[in-house]
Amino acid sequence: MRALVTANDDGLPPALTRICGLAVSELVVTGAGVTLMHRPGTPDAQQRLARATDAVAVGLEDLQLTVGEGPGLSAVTAGAPVLVPDLAVAGARWPAFTPGALALGVAAVFAFPLQLGVIGLGSLDCHRAATGSLSPPQAVDGLVLAELAFESVLDEIAGRPPEDLGWISDIHAEVHQASGMVSNQLGISMREALLRIRAHAYAHDLPLATVARQIVDRQLLLGAQE
Amino acid sequence: MNHSHEQRLARVFVELADTLIDQFDIIEFLNMLVERCVELLDVAAAGVVLSDQRGGLRMAAASSEQARLVELFAVQADDGPCLDCVRTGLPVSSANLADENARWPRFAVAAREAGFRAAHAVPMRLRQTVIGALNLLNTESDGVDETSVSLGQALADVATIGMLQHRAIDDSAILTRQLQTALNSRVVIEQAKGVLSAHAGVDMQAAFVALRAYSRSNNLRLSDIAREVAEGTADLDAIAAGGQVSPPRQERH
Repeated sequence: MRALVTANDDGLPPALTRICGLAVSELVVTGAGVTLMHRPGTPDAQQRLARATDAVAVGLEDLQLTVGEGPGLSAVTAGAPVLVPDLAVAGARWPAFTPGALALGVAAVFAFPLQLGVIGLGSLDCHRAATGSLSPPQAVDGLVLAELAFESVLDEIAGRPPEDLGWISDIHAEVHQASGMVSNQLGISMREALLRIRAHAYAHDLPLATVARQIVDRQLLLGAQE
Repeated sequence: MNHSHEQRLARVFVELADTLIDQFDIIEFLNMLVERCVELLDVAAAGVVLSDQRGGLRMAAASSEQARLVELFAVQADDGPCLDCVRTGLPVSSANLADENARWPRFAVAAREAGFRAAHAVPMRLRQTVIGALNLLNTESDGVDETSVSLGQALADVATIGMLQHRAIDDSAILTRQLQTALNSRVVIEQAKGVLSAHAGVDMQAAFVALRAYSRSNNLRLSDIAREVAEGTADLDAIAAGGQVSPPRQERH
């Protein structure tokens, strides 16, 4: 993640460009951006804008980075979308972010976390020049796009082209349990553990669920150098 | 229903209402709901599944975290009483799961393998929106009795209102946030169960029991302690040891 956060734009998944474009058209917003975060809320936190559709989206991400607060960071901290249909009314929770965002001409913001349990990769932040809520189907589109963005960023970290997007929606409790076990056994982060399990499944041409079941049943112990 | 049963039931409603006041933790709340269902109603097991708002269902709480029961809620993403209940917004029941292979090819088999013979699902519904279902399961093939079903529906109604709290309940943004918070918290709990299971060499059920006991005896939110465990910042030995914080070490004299 560190490498990705500090990499050139060239190193980022082209899927993110499409995801931001779809966010604009499907959520009917003025612009969208994806910000990647590493260890948000900790002293060695890092964040970096990965994609943005317009200058305002770039400005919003710069602002969040500078003041250290905003809807994207709140979404990752909460593990849930932060939907603000009228920033002028509801923006008091970010005293440093809100005045700057309003000055950029932003009236509404909708942030969706790129997240799976404690694995937080960043957020998909959408903004609108006019106030107003997302419709329920638009909010659902935001959830789906954030899920796809999570997958494509994770695949990029793993150095694999994101050719099988959609696998996240199929994973069940045992994959998360297996991630926890591997994280503890190898002393690695939850994100790293999920990547190890995926890599093992990929290398042995097995479904992720099968590998997870073997780990939970203690029939498979992933090695440190897998 | 006898007098003491009514008193216990009244206490459960007070307890559920009480948890809504502050420090609200949806997963802990739903967990309390399913545990109380098993204590109070004539059912062997209970669980809550929630809509992921993308056409799918995910388990949010189960009266036991034994793998077979958890799996039984997971298969209902494909078929079963909860899926039918969420789709129609109406209660769904089967008094004999042996007859349901055609109706629920995956669920009927998985339920019988787990030892259940009857199932009932009641919707968690607010006006037009169905956010999930409460599933009641029994080991006898004569169904879940009517009193249990109507009490289960009352508990599900309290839980639905509880999840949306006392806010503007027409606001779909609140609904989205609460559902996604609950679903992500559930993933954190699974990740934490895995960490504790590997650390202490216990199964997932024992890992969950230790996690919950620790959160209760130390007055911590279940979601918070699960997050600390999954992020690797919790005292795993203390949690695995039975839920008590070890007392500060005494200086030797």
